[in-house]
Amino acid sequence: MKKYEQLDISGDAGLKIWGETLEGLFANAAEGMSELITDVAEVEGTEEREVVLTADSNEDLLIQWLNELIFFFDTYDFIGKRFDISLKNNMLKAKISGGRHNPAINESRLLIKAATYHGLSLKRDNLQWEAVVIFDI
Amino acid sequence: MTIEGLHRIDSTRLEVPKGYKPGMRTNGIIYVDEVLEKELEKDSIEQVANVATLQGIVGSSIAMPDIHTGYGFSIGGVAAFDLKEGIISPGGVGYDINCGVRLLRTNLEKVDVIPKIKELIENFYRDIPTGVGSKGKLRLNADEHRKVLVQGARWAVEQGFGEKEDLQHTESHGCIEGADPDLISDKAYERGRSQLGTLGSGNHFTEIQYVDEIYDEAVANALGLFNRQITVMIHTGSRGFGHQVCTDFLEIMQKAVHKYNINLPDRELACAPFESPEARDYLASMRAAANFAWANRQFIMHWVKESFMNIFRTGPGTIGMGLIYDVAHNIAKIEEHTVKGQKRKLVVHRKGATRSFPPGHPELPEAYKHMGQPVIIPGDMGRASFVLIGTERGMQESFGSTCHGAGRLMSRHQAIKRAKGRAIWREMEDKGIIVRSAGRATLAEEMPEAYKDVENVVDVVHHAGLSRKVARLRPLGVIKG
Repeated sequence: MKKYEQLDISGDAGLKIWGETLEGLFANAAEGMSELITDVAEVEGTEEREVVLTADSNEDLLIQWLNELIFFFDTYDFIGKRFDISLKNNMLKAKISGGRHNPAINESRLLIKAATYHGLSLKRDNLQWEAVVIFDI
Repeated sequence: MTIEGLHRIDSTRLEVPKGYKPGMRTNGIIYVDEVLEKELEKDSIEQVANVATLQGIVGSSIAMPDIHTGYGFSIGGVAAFDLKEGIISPGGVGYDINCGVRLLRTNLEKVDVIPKIKELIENFYRDIPTGVGSKGKLRLNADEHRKVLVQGARWAVEQGFGEKEDLQHTESHGCIEGADPDLISDKAYERGRSQLGTLGSGNHFTEIQYVDEIYDEAVANALGLFNRQITVMIHTGSRGFGHQVCTDFLEIMQKAVHKYNINLPDRELACAPFESPEARDYLASMRAAANFAWANRQFIMHWVKESFMNIFRTGPGTIGMGLIYDVAHNIAKIEEHTVKGQKRKLVVHRKGATRSFPPGHPELPEAYKHMGQPVIIPGDMGRASFVLIGTERGMQESFGSTCHGAGRLMSRHQAIKRAKGRAIWREMEDKGIIVRSAGRATLAEEMPEAYKDVENVVDVVHHAGLSRKVARLRPLGVIKG
C-alpha cells in the first residue's frame, strides 16, 4: 500500500497520506514530511525522542504532531526515521528514533515553516484512513 | 473578459462584490490590470472574499497585484479592523512574521564591482549563514535573547552592528513598541536561539544589484540613487522564531474562535476579538518576532558591509555604504487612518504587502518626510527589483499599502519540471548574474519563470497611484538558501 504522495501546490508543498490505522497514518505523515526535508536514508545516528500531545480532534492532533517534528528539525536538526505511535482519546504518545541532519553531508530539500490547517482533511473509508496536509515553506 | 462574479472598476481595479459569497460585510478590491487578471487564482479571490466576512473590517478587503493563494488571507492581502468591533488574525500576518527587505546604497558603480563580483558573492556565502539547517554565528544567552525581542535592530546597533542612522532608515525604527518577551513559549526561544543572523531558505536572498533606470530623478537624488550605481538588497524575516510564534498562536486562536463564537469560512482565518486577552498576547508576541526580524536584517547587513570592506580594502564610509530603507511586508500594526473624513485608529494587517506612507507622514524620518516613504520591491533573481515611493492616494485607498514582490506563478513541481536538464546557474551566469545557492532544488524552484514579471506588478500599483516608481535595479550576483 502506498504510504504517501507529494502534492503539487502553488508555491508550497503538500502530502496526501494513507494508513490502515490512524497510528499508521500519523507515522506515514511523519515519514513523508522527513522526505520533504532531506533524503532520510542518508541521515545517520540513533537518537530517540518521546512526545506526548493532546488536542480537540484527530485533525488538530495531526497538525500538532507534524509541527512538533518541524520544531525538532528546525531547533535540533533532528530527523525522525522510525515512529512508534499510540493514539487514544485524542492523545498521542510517540517514540521517535532518528538522527541529526548535517547540511554539509546530507541533502537539504525544503525548509518547512509549519504544517497548516489550510485544506486539511482526515477521513476513513471502509479500508483505510486518508489525510491531506499542506505545509508552508 | 472579466472573471465571472467580479466587476472591473477601472484599468487597475477589480471589485469582488459584497454578494460574491454569503456573509461578506464589505466588498473586495483586487488591484490587477487585464494582463495580471489572467493569472488570478480562483482560490485567492475566494480568500479576498473570506476576509471580507471578518467582524469589524473597515473599508474593503484589499489585494495587491502580486496576489496569490495563501493560508487564510491571500498573499498580497491588506485588511484593516476597528479596535473595538474588530479582530486580529495571525493568518493576516503569516508564518514569517516581519519578513521584509532592506536596501543599501554604495557609491560604487557597476564597472567597479563586475571584476570582483564572484569574490563578493563567495564572501557573502561564507559569512552569512544560508540554507536549510544552517546555524547563526551569534549565540544568545537568555537575557540577550529577551533584549533582541524588546529592542530589535536597536540592540544590534548597540552591540556594534551598524550605525544609529540605520534605525532612522528602518520602518518603526527597527523596534516596534509593546513586545512582551514573557509571553513567548520556551519552544520559540529554543528554535530562535541559533537562528539570529541567518538568511533562511526559499525565496530569501542577499543580492548585489545596479541601478539601470531612474523614473523620478528628484526622489532618486534625495535617496542617493544614481544610474549604474551598486546597491545591495537583503530579503529575510524572523526565521524559525517567528514561525514558532505563529504556530503557537494559531493553536490558541483555534480555541478563541470557539470561546468567542466566531463563524469562519476557513480555519486558517482563526482570530480573536481585538480587545480579548488572546489578541493582546498575540500582538505583543508578534511584535517580539518583528523585532527579532529587524535585528536579523541588521546583523546580515553588517556582514555585507564587512565583505565589501574586505574586498575593496577600505572603510564603509569610503565606498559610501548606508541603509536606504528597510520595510516589513508581513505584519499587523496599529495606525491612524482617515475613513470617510474621520480619523480612526485601526489594526492594519499586511500579508505580502508593504507599508507605503505619503509625504509628511509623522512616522517618516526627517530626511524622507518631504517626499514620502521609500518602498523596496524585490523581484525574482533574473529580472529586476524596484524602489517606489509612498503617495497620498495610497494612504486614502489602501491604508498606506502597496505590493511586495513578484508573486509566484508556477508551483514547485512545475518549476522543477521546467528546469529539468537545464543548468539554471549557467543560464543566469550567461545573463551576467552570479548565483550561489545552498539547496540543490532551490535554484529550479526559484528560477525567474516561476514568478510573475515584477515589472507588471509594479506598473499596476504605479498606475493605480498606490505608490510611484523611482528606480529599477538589475541583479549582478545573489546568494540564496
